[in-house]
Amino acid sequence: MEQPQSDSYQGQSGGDVSSHDPMEPQAAREHKTFLLTSLAGLLFLIAIPFLVGEYYVSLASEILIFAILTSGVNLLLGYTGLVSLGHAAFMGVGAYATAIGSSLLGYPVWFVMLASITVSLVIAYGIGLLSVRTKGVQFLLITLAFGQMFHAIAEKTRYTGGDDGMTNIPRIDLSLIGLDADHDRVFYFFVLVCFVIALALLRLVVDSPFGRVLVGIRENEKRMLALGYSTFPYKALAFGISGMLAGLAGSLWVQHSFFVNPHIMTWQMSGEALLMVIIGGSKAFFGPLLGAAFYVLAKDFLSDITEAYLMFFGLLFVLVVAFFHGGIAGFIARIFNRTGGPAGKDDQ
Amino acid sequence: MTFFLFNLLNGLQLSMLIFLMAVGLTVIFGLMDILNLAHGAFYMVGAYFGYVVFQTTESFWISLLIGPLLSLALGFLLQYYVLQPLIDRGRTAHLDMALLTFGLLFFTIGLVDLIFFETLGLTFMSIDKPAGLGSYIDIGIMYPTYRLFVIALGLIVALAVWLLLDRTVIGAVVRAGVDDREMVRAMGVNIYLVFACVFGLGCWLAGLAGVVAGAGLSIDINMGVQILIPTLVVVVLGGLGSVKGCFFGALIVGMTETLSQAYVPALALFATYLLLAAMLIFRPQGFFGRAPKTV
Repeated sequence: MEQPQSDSYQGQSGGDVSSHDPMEPQAAREHKTFLLTSLAGLLFLIAIPFLVGEYYVSLASEILIFAILTSGVNLLLGYTGLVSLGHAAFMGVGAYATAIGSSLLGYPVWFVMLASITVSLVIAYGIGLLSVRTKGVQFLLITLAFGQMFHAIAEKTRYTGGDDGMTNIPRIDLSLIGLDADHDRVFYFFVLVCFVIALALLRLVVDSPFGRVLVGIRENEKRMLALGYSTFPYKALAFGISGMLAGLAGSLWVQHSFFVNPHIMTWQMSGEALLMVIIGGSKAFFGPLLGAAFYVLAKDFLSDITEAYLMFFGLLFVLVVAFFHGGIAGFIARIFNRTGGPAGKDDQ
Repeated sequence: MTFFLFNLLNGLQLSMLIFLMAVGLTVIFGLMDILNLAHGAFYMVGAYFGYVVFQTTESFWISLLIGPLLSLALGFLLQYYVLQPLIDRGRTAHLDMALLTFGLLFFTIGLVDLIFFETLGLTFMSIDKPAGLGSYIDIGIMYPTYRLFVIALGLIVALAVWLLLDRTVIGAVVRAGVDDREMVRAMGVNIYLVFACVFGLGCWLAGLAGVVAGAGLSIDINMGVQILIPTLVVVVLGGLGSVKGCFFGALIVGMTETLSQAYVPALALFATYLLLAAMLIFRPQGFFGRAPKTV
């Protein structure tokens, strides 16, 4: 499991950026591990529809969609050190843009999807320009405020069905390659393709000089400023990219569930996204995927027993924040790296 | 005119309710650097426990007295035995604490849901208003007595908090703690005990607000989350840690919510958030907050 190098995500730990030079041999080894992990993971994800029943394939689609959302959230949380409590809003923007475009205006879904992603990117970048002026708790609060604002808009808008939302939203038309996305297995593969593209792009971002600057901002923003980086545009763009991924997740989500309502953009949803990232492990590239998988499967399991599943997640969330910052990914990494890998001080 | 007066009083009532919540939150943040997102949970706990007490004793006053005590106790224990040890173990306050208490809020909502809804089958409950506060009073307009009671209670608490912080030794210790907690420690004050007491008191106020709201509004599973957002807005407007700012912030938010609902319903849902966003962009430290430390 590849690990971004840090011991905490709040950007106050003052770690040394330069000691994690990408040219280190360790980095090359990590890159190899990353490629191997990804390949093995991808093979497993391709195999899923052939191994399990229709219901679990649908759950797997859900997991991948949430993983796109949470990987985006983690670009801010894990890499840049900004905790957003408003990302459900961008998921909502993607979802509503797709629903309006395909269901109300009748454009083809592939076109609507591209448009939705663009719209989410633009809106998130705009909100980012305003939000990243603040940091820490204030940032958390301002993203919450913007999130609630979008929720309020969705609830008030008669055109999109207000609180009831919209139904009968079509899935993408794959008849050109002879497939029908209304079958859950086919749709799963479509989601998988989107997921792979999204995460590959994210990986490029994270590995680029741009991504290195983000990590630098997390570790010590003052030092980045002293080095001559104007951190503001970096943070705003990171916010935009992360919102774009949320928008893609939203766009896939409406196709997956065939409907959309304002619940998709409540702050509970943003909270659940944070929950997935932190349970999965905000320090690992694939942590959010693991978190999403754990969340969706555990929720599915628990909701058979009780409606009050939030209780368990709340408790788990508290425990992970309090005692185990690495989350699931950190746990796995610890098993594989017993002889002292790049584990941070939180993983004692 | 009567319509305006009616809304003005309603706004004042809401302001006072939010103030009860926000003052605890802001003092806790000022003193301990903990943004307690679980504050809404303590409000819920107060309301639900108040309801249980009310069901047993059938007295509003007893439930107003006893209901918030559970919030007080839980708040004290949480700070003294959970949060403080974690901070000492190197969980730097700000974001970890915000996330941790956020998880706690989720947990409480789930637990209350499990006990009251799934087990007991109760959904919307309320505490009966006491005799004498249940009807209307003529003050130029016919106005519900209970709401006047809430306004009065809020003003009394505001005065009491101000006196406590500004005119007593305890207050002096707390104010000193906000300025420089290490110095207070060096002077021989058991700052952890002070922290826990202040945390508990803040939660007690939230519980009090919960019982008060339980009789005026209704008790349901979302109440904690619903009140939390305006509370956070108030705290940001006033400046994190400022009691004075909290009072004015509460007035601004309460009035904005009520008056916009009465006169521009289309704006009602956004008004508060617009306020919050504008504040954070142009003056992130709030009206009475100190300028943030550099980067």
